[in-house]
Amino acid sequence: MSALLAAIAFWLAAWALNAALARSRWRKARVVRIAVPVIFGLAVLVLWQGLVRGLNVSPVILPAPTDIAQTFAGSTHVLWEDFVQTVLKGALTGYVIGSLAAVATAIVIDRSAFLTAGLLPIGNFVAALPIVGIAPILVSWFGFDWQSKAAVVVVMVFFPVLVNVVQGLKETEPMQRDLMRTYAAGYGQTLLKLRLPAAMPFVFNGLKIATTLALIGAIVAEYFGSPVKGMGFRISTGVGRLAIDLVWAEIAVAALVGTAFYGIVAMIEKFVTFWHPSQRVG
Amino acid sequence: MKKFVLSAGLALAAGAAQAADDVTLQLKWVTQAQFAGYYVAADKGFYEEEDLNVTIKPGGPDIAPEQVIAGGGADVIVTWMAAGLAARERGVPLVNIAQPFKSGGLQLTCLKESGISAPEDFKGHTLGVWFFGNEYPFYAWMAKLGLPTEGGEDGVEVLKQAFNVDPLLQKQADCISVMTYNEYGQVLDAGISEDELVTFNYLEQGVGMMEDGLYVMEENLSDDAFKEKMVRFVRASMKGWKYAEENPEEAAQIVVDNDETGAQTIEHQEYMMSEVAKLTAGSNGALDPADYEQTVATLLSAVSEDNPAITKEPEGMAFTLEITDEALK
Repeated sequence: MSALLAAIAFWLAAWALNAALARSRWRKARVVRIAVPVIFGLAVLVLWQGLVRGLNVSPVILPAPTDIAQTFAGSTHVLWEDFVQTVLKGALTGYVIGSLAAVATAIVIDRSAFLTAGLLPIGNFVAALPIVGIAPILVSWFGFDWQSKAAVVVVMVFFPVLVNVVQGLKETEPMQRDLMRTYAAGYGQTLLKLRLPAAMPFVFNGLKIATTLALIGAIVAEYFGSPVKGMGFRISTGVGRLAIDLVWAEIAVAALVGTAFYGIVAMIEKFVTFWHPSQRVG
Repeated sequence: MKKFVLSAGLALAAGAAQAADDVTLQLKWVTQAQFAGYYVAADKGFYEEEDLNVTIKPGGPDIAPEQVIAGGGADVIVTWMAAGLAARERGVPLVNIAQPFKSGGLQLTCLKESGISAPEDFKGHTLGVWFFGNEYPFYAWMAKLGLPTEGGEDGVEVLKQAFNVDPLLQKQADCISVMTYNEYGQVLDAGISEDELVTFNYLEQGVGMMEDGLYVMEENLSDDAFKEKMVRFVRASMKGWKYAEENPEEAAQIVVDNDETGAQTIEHQEYMMSEVAKLTAGSNGALDPADYEQTVATLLSAVSEDNPAITKEPEGMAFTLEITDEALK
């Protein structure tokens, strides 16, 4: 019980500290802006630990963060193997293929009003298919290894990227395109020098949405048959062996990878679209 | 006055209904003839005769009965002994109180055309295995055969198989896991004849493990009222099982009627019931300690990172004959 009380005390103290920081005159400082969410996260973990220990929750229902951390440290080789299988092979490959295909399709669609009317609804239709429905089908087409997971990811990321790129290509104004024409620029030059750069804020919007989708797709697809490695495999079988701490360790990896993946794409966006009002500081 | 009598009568009826003891049973899998005994006992009123009010909760591919009972969601669960013992070692002290299944229905079935005719031929082939606590017998078998499970020329490639027979039909695996009473029938239904198949029964390979048994939490067994309740539950359940064995068609119909998903067909359930009856035949519900010893010995013969079911002899009371001794008097 004392563990529970200590955890609640810590939580309240962290809350008070955060409130004070947010009200203080240093609230705009970089240190404080990083400290506030870190303190919040710490408070959640401490409260979790206190609840599990104080109320004697069975480790097969909810393990304590310290148990999870221990399992994490003790099974890094398993986590690494799963990371390579699911993230590097399944999710990243699918993400790259799906995004490239979407950009190419968007350019084709943009060239023809006929395709806009025909292809976009099909893309919409594919995007509306539930992943639990297409995953077993793609697994039976592409086999059990990472290729079928990449295929699921392709299907999942294709539409959000496509819609955004199609929208982005409409961004330039007739005046700007006319100006290109007065420079005697052809379609290709206009596309490369004017329209694609102008579309970039939209493209990255789609790419950022697709990061988390790719990870989810690769993990969930592993539920429908997989070799005996991968994050989805470990999560779906860990519960059956009551290795819940390992399941949570995998979830932690997935959360870290998802955040990092999004962060990297957002950083590239900042670099590419430095000119856009949303990226300008001050 | 009339009103008073009526309400008094209602109160009595309500009192009588409350007197029945509640029991929640968590099944290992979806509603099907694998659990016919429990559905028959409920349908035929065997539980009522014992003054029990039994709720049967179907399981499914993402429900671990061991976790449900640890969380207080059930009084008693149906699970395999390997999974029960594994849970025990991980801090969920489950105790086997009855064993309606005398033999096991787990098999590995292979296409003859893949060139497999004996376990020695597995080398270099892909084998489909069910996980979620059902993988322990497989890894024990491979350890016995001395086959590594990481793939390659000298080992076998392991595939996490979904709960269907597609990998065999699509030739993604040379062998797949089947239950005699379920997936094996599905393979036959898909148009593959029995002489195109080679089937290995885990029990015959000496790596069999006790399948569907009834398990409760150890701490509950110190409560005499709970014990007495379980005695009545096991007695009624076994009556249900024996009734189902003798009346397979009626039992299959009861199962179909109880299937809320509507996914089960009467033909498949009749097939399943006739096969399940072969597994329950010969069991009066009491666990044979020799069977327990064999399961433990098999698990301990194959302790590895892939097969972490148990790493040492189970501590304390992993099974008890107290309940069945009393129930079968």
